Amino acid sequence: MNNRLETFVKENRKAFDVMEPSAGLWAKIEQELDNKKKKKPAKLYLWMSAAAAIVVVFGLAWLYVGKLQNKDLEIADVSASYAKKEVHFAGLITEKRDSLAIFASANPELYKKFTADLKKLDEDYERLKAELPTSPNQTFVVKAMVKNREIQLQLLKQQLLIINQVDDYKRVNQI
Amino acid sequence: MQGSRAAQFELYKLYAKAMYNVALRILNYEEEAEDVLQEAFLDAFTRIVDFRQETTFGLWLKQIVINKSINYLRKRKMEFVSTDELSEVPDEDSFDDSEVRLQADEIRTAITELPDGYRVVLSLYLLEGYDHEEIAHILKISENTSRTQYMRAKKKLKSILEQKGMRDE
Repeated sequence: MNNRLETFVKENRKAFDVMEPSAGLWAKIEQELDNKKKKKPAKLYLWMSAAAAIVVVFGLAWLYVGKLQNKDLEIADVSASYAKKEVHFAGLITEKRDSLAIFASANPELYKKFTADLKKLDEDYERLKAELPTSPNQTFVVKAMVKNREIQLQLLKQQLLIINQVDDYKRVNQI
Repeated sequence: MQGSRAAQFELYKLYAKAMYNVALRILNYEEEAEDVLQEAFLDAFTRIVDFRQETTFGLWLKQIVINKSINYLRKRKMEFVSTDELSEVPDEDSFDDSEVRLQADEIRTAITELPDGYRVVLSLYLLEGYDHEEIAHILKISENTSRTQYMRAKKKLKSILEQKGMRDE
């Protein structure tokens, strides 16, 4: 087999790279590079403003939706005195619920029943709350809400009483 | 490296001539070869972040140059010989001719007289140092086609050189 050509080319490789590009070529490349550099910031600016616009639109939409949603709240919007009552009741309810929870482990079945009753009342409360913004007679709804809280509180008081007695009874029996 | 114009010029000075010859061998037209060179350098400088250090910058740039050159050539509607044409390929790998004087300049001009398909495969194999597997990948032809194309190109080259030799004497 004959490799004279291959060998020759290998040995004289440099002799094959004799042509030269024209002298002005680098200037052209440099110019293009400059053009690209100038274009880039403009492009970046465009993208950034587009991004900013999107952020602003979303921000506004979020605020608007937030405001709409906020409207469904607040007894205080209807009546300040009822609101005060409601807050007072809510505080007491949390307190009693915590007390009730202490007996939970000792009387799991009883606790389950009690919480189920409370849950019903709570659901009623949420329903009233949802009705409030659209209700024609808001004071009426608010009254019902506060009443609901009051009932919850009374129920809790009774539950606590019962659970206390049961607990005492159990302890006495144990001894 | 990206920002420095001086560094870019250094790279240009280092590689421009070799890359220009690579493009010119494939394209055979100086104008097109310069366009390719310009595009290749611009590409390389703007995409330098993509450059993985697996190869040298030179090899990477050469790949860009070759790909661009081939694209130019394809735009000219050149086709890399279909396989049916290859049936009558001579077996003898003959460049055994001691009578042919091997002169770089003569070979170089003879190569420019080869048809596009021959010239590209021969340049890639003989001068750019790619093997047939790589050439097959670059030109999207089969390895076998690359091999036979090369044989035929070499044969043709030889006959061109012989003719010239006869004319010279």
